[in-house]
Amino acid sequence: MPADALGYVPPDGGWGWAVVLASFISIGFAYAFPKSLTIYYKEIQEYFSISYSQIAWLSSVMLASMYAAGPVSSVLVNRYGSRAVVMAGGFLVSSAMVLASFGTTIVHLYLCVGVIGGFGLAFNLQPALTIIGTYFHAKRPLANGLAMAGSPVLLFTLAPLNQLLYDSFGWRGSFLILGGLTLNCCVAGSLMRPVNKKVQGQLQREPHERAGAGPQHAEAQRTGGVHRFIDVSLFKHRGFLIYLLGNVVMFFGFFAPVVFLAPYAKHLAVDEYSAAFLLSIFALVDMFVRPATGLMGNTQRIRPRIQYLFSFAVCYNGACHLLCPLASGYAGLVVYAVFSGMAFGMVCSLLFEVLMDLVGAPRFSSAVGLVTVIECVPVLLGPPLSGWRPNGSAGGYFWRVQVHVLRVWRLDAGAGRVFLHHALLQLQEAGRGGEAAAVGGDERVWRGCADEKESERTAAMNILSRVCAVYLIFTKKTKPHFLPQARVLVCVAF
Amino acid sequence: MFPLLREKTRNNRITVIVMRASWMLLLLACCGNGNTKTVGQSAHPVESDALLPADARSVVLKGKSHTDKVDVASPMNLTLGCTWTGNGKKLLNVTGYWLKDGRPVDNSHVTLQFENQQVQLKRMFVIKNEENLGRYSCMFGNEAKADFILAVPHIGDVRDKPVVSYVGDSVVLVCKMDDNKPNPKTWLWFRANGTDKEEIATVAEPQKYQVQNAGKVTKLHVHNLTQDDSGLFYCGAMFTIGMAVSHLELKVITIYEPLKPFVAIILEVLVLVAAILLFERSQSKKGQVQEGEEVAKAEPPATNAEPPAINVEPPTSTSSATPPGESQGLEETLSARQRKS
Repeated sequence: MPADALGYVPPDGGWGWAVVLASFISIGFAYAFPKSLTIYYKEIQEYFSISYSQIAWLSSVMLASMYAAGPVSSVLVNRYGSRAVVMAGGFLVSSAMVLASFGTTIVHLYLCVGVIGGFGLAFNLQPALTIIGTYFHAKRPLANGLAMAGSPVLLFTLAPLNQLLYDSFGWRGSFLILGGLTLNCCVAGSLMRPVNKKVQGQLQREPHERAGAGPQHAEAQRTGGVHRFIDVSLFKHRGFLIYLLGNVVMFFGFFAPVVFLAPYAKHLAVDEYSAAFLLSIFALVDMFVRPATGLMGNTQRIRPRIQYLFSFAVCYNGACHLLCPLASGYAGLVVYAVFSGMAFGMVCSLLFEVLMDLVGAPRFSSAVGLVTVIECVPVLLGPPLSGWRPNGSAGGYFWRVQVHVLRVWRLDAGAGRVFLHHALLQLQEAGRGGEAAAVGGDERVWRGCADEKESERTAAMNILSRVCAVYLIFTKKTKPHFLPQARVLVCVAF
Repeated sequence: MFPLLREKTRNNRITVIVMRASWMLLLLACCGNGNTKTVGQSAHPVESDALLPADARSVVLKGKSHTDKVDVASPMNLTLGCTWTGNGKKLLNVTGYWLKDGRPVDNSHVTLQFENQQVQLKRMFVIKNEENLGRYSCMFGNEAKADFILAVPHIGDVRDKPVVSYVGDSVVLVCKMDDNKPNPKTWLWFRANGTDKEEIATVAEPQKYQVQNAGKVTKLHVHNLTQDDSGLFYCGAMFTIGMAVSHLELKVITIYEPLKPFVAIILEVLVLVAAILLFERSQSKKGQVQEGEEVAKAEPPATNAEPPAINVEPPTSTSSATPPGESQGLEETLSARQRKS
C-alpha cells in the first residue's frame, strides 16, 4: 500500500518512536495482562470455594470480551482518534481492577475483571495498532515488530511482579495495585499524539484506485449509516477475506504450545520448575524475534514480499509443531521451545503488518476490529477442543498434542497456501495498477516483482509443501507417533 | 517351657509368631504390656501382635551409608533388611547389629558370614505406637550402615510464605496430604498459644471457625479476621499411630497497606500524563508561532500567482524529505491553509 493513498506523508520517525513506545505498553498490557492474572487463581478459587473450571472461566470471559469489543473499539477510534480511546481504555481497566478488589462473589469478578477489564484492554489494543499505521510507512514493519514485542516483555515482567504482590498483599491488595499499574496505559495514551496530517476532516483526494481502498472509503463517508462507524465494505475486499479465513483457521491451533507445552513436558517426566522454564525460554526467544522479524521485513528485498514472509512464518510454525513428537527428553523440548518461540514471534510480529499492508492505514482500524471479533471464536474454542480427546490413557497428552500438532500444521499449511495465493493476486494487481502519481522507492521494487515467474514459483512451493507433508507423515521415524486417524486427517487436508 | 520359648524367640524365627499366638494369654498374665526398654523384641505381649499387617523394606547398601524414609500410618510388623556387598577388602565375617535412635537394640548382635560377596541383616520390628517410630539403623561392624527413618506420613505441599488477608475479611487455610500417602483418620487444627498449641474449638465458635475435611485435604475457614488472628496455625493429620503436624502462617493487614503503593502509582501516572501533555502543548505553540510567521510571509505571493515552490513549506512535523511526487499533495495543503486563514 503506497504512501499516497493516505493523503499525507507519515513521519516515519521523530515522535513516531514515542508512539511506538506507547503502543509497546498498550499492546503489552492487552496481551500479557490476562495471562499474568492466573497466579491469583488458586487463592481466589479457595476463597470463593469454587471449582477450577469456574475460575478458568474468568480468563475466557476476559479474552472473549476483549475480542468482542474489537469493533466497538474500531468505531471509537474512527470517530475520536487513538488517544482518547486508549486513555478511556486505561481508565476502564484500572477501575475494573479496583472494583474487583472489593468483590464478594465470583460473578462480581467475572463482571469487573472479565467484562469491563476486557473492554478496557480492547480499547488499548486496536488504537495502538492503528496509530502505528498513521505514523509509519517506510519503517512500518520495524515499528510493528517493536510494538508487538511489548507482549512478551510485559509478560516477563508481570509474572514475577504478580508473584511478589501476591506474597505481600494477597489477592485483594494485588488487584488494587494492579489497578494502579494499568493506569499507566493512560500515560501511553497521552503519548499517542494525533499525527499532523495537515488536512484534517476533509475528503482525501485519491490519486488512483489501488486495491479499491480509495473510492470505497470516500463512498463510505458519504453514505452514512453503519458505514459511518465501521467500514463494512471491507468484506468485499478479497485480500481481507483471505486474510480473515487464513487467520480463523490458524488460530484454532496457534496457541497450542503456550497451552500444552508445560503439561506435555510434565507428562514426559520433567519436573514442574523445568517445565515452567520451558515457557520462559519460549517467551524470551519470542521477545527478541519480534523486533528482529520487523527489521527483516523492513529490508528492501523483503518489504514488497512481506506476505510471503508471513506465509513462511505460518508454515514454519506448523512444521515446528509437527516435529515436536521427535523431541526426546528435556534437551529436545528445549530445542522445540526455542524453535517454536521463533515461529510464534515471527507470526505475531507480522500479523498486523500484513493486514495493514492489505487494507491500508485508513481502513485499518475497522479491519482490525472485524478481524479480532471473528478471530475470537477459534482462539476461545481451540484449546478446549483439543482437550476434548480421550485422556484416560497414559498416552493422553501425547495424543492430544499429536492431534493438535496435526491440526495446526494442516491449518497453517492451509493458511500458508492461502497467503501465497493472495500474494500472487496482489502482484497481478500491482502490474495492473499502472499510472501512480507517487513513485516512492519501495513502489518501484514492488512493481518489479510482478512477473510470470512468480506464479510458477508459488505453484511449485505448494506442491513442495504437500510432498514434504506426506513424506513426514509416512516415514518410518514418525510413523509410530501418528495414529491412523491422524494420518487420515492429514491426507484430507490436502 | 518358658526358657525354651524365649530362646526360640531370641533366634527370631518366623515360626515364633505362630507359637506366640498360642502363648498370648499366658504371657499377658506374666509380663504385662510393653517393656519399653527392650525395643523391637518380637516377644511382645500384646494380643493384636499376630493380627498386625506385615510389611518389609530392604535396601542394598553399596556405599558407606544410606537413608530411607518409611511412612507408617498404622501399627504393623515391619521387617527391615539390609544387604551389604562388602567394602572391597576380603572379609570372612562381620558383626551386624541394629540401633534405634542411636541406642543399640537388645539381642541384635549377629555374626554374619559372607556368601557370594554379600551379607544380609534382617529383623522384624513391631511398630505399634509413636514410641516405636524413629531412626532404625542396621550396622555392619563399623564399616557401613543404613538408616530407616520411620515416621508418620508428612504433610507435603506446605506454603512457606504467610497467607495474607485483611481485617474484617475471611480466609481459607488449606493443608493437603500428598496423593501417594494414605488418608488420615481425621484432621485437627491448632493455634499457637505462646509456646503451646491449643486446639481450635470449631464447635464452640461456629461463626468464626469452620473446618471442612475431605480425605487428603482439610480447609479451615476463619471469618471476621482481626489483627489478633495473625500468627501460626497448625494442621494435624491424625493417623492410628500418631499425628503429623504442619504449620501455616497467617498475616492480617489493614486496607491501608496496599493503598500506599496504589496512591504512589496514581501520582506517578498523573505527573507523567501532565508532563507529556504540557510538553506537547508547548511544542505545538512553538509550531503555531512558526506557522503564523510563514503563512504571513507566503500570503502575498500566493494570492496573485501559482503556489510557490516546495521549499516555502515550513516543516512543522518531523517528516522526512518529501519526494517530488508529493508536490501535488503539498499544494493542496497550502491551499487548505489559505482557506483556513
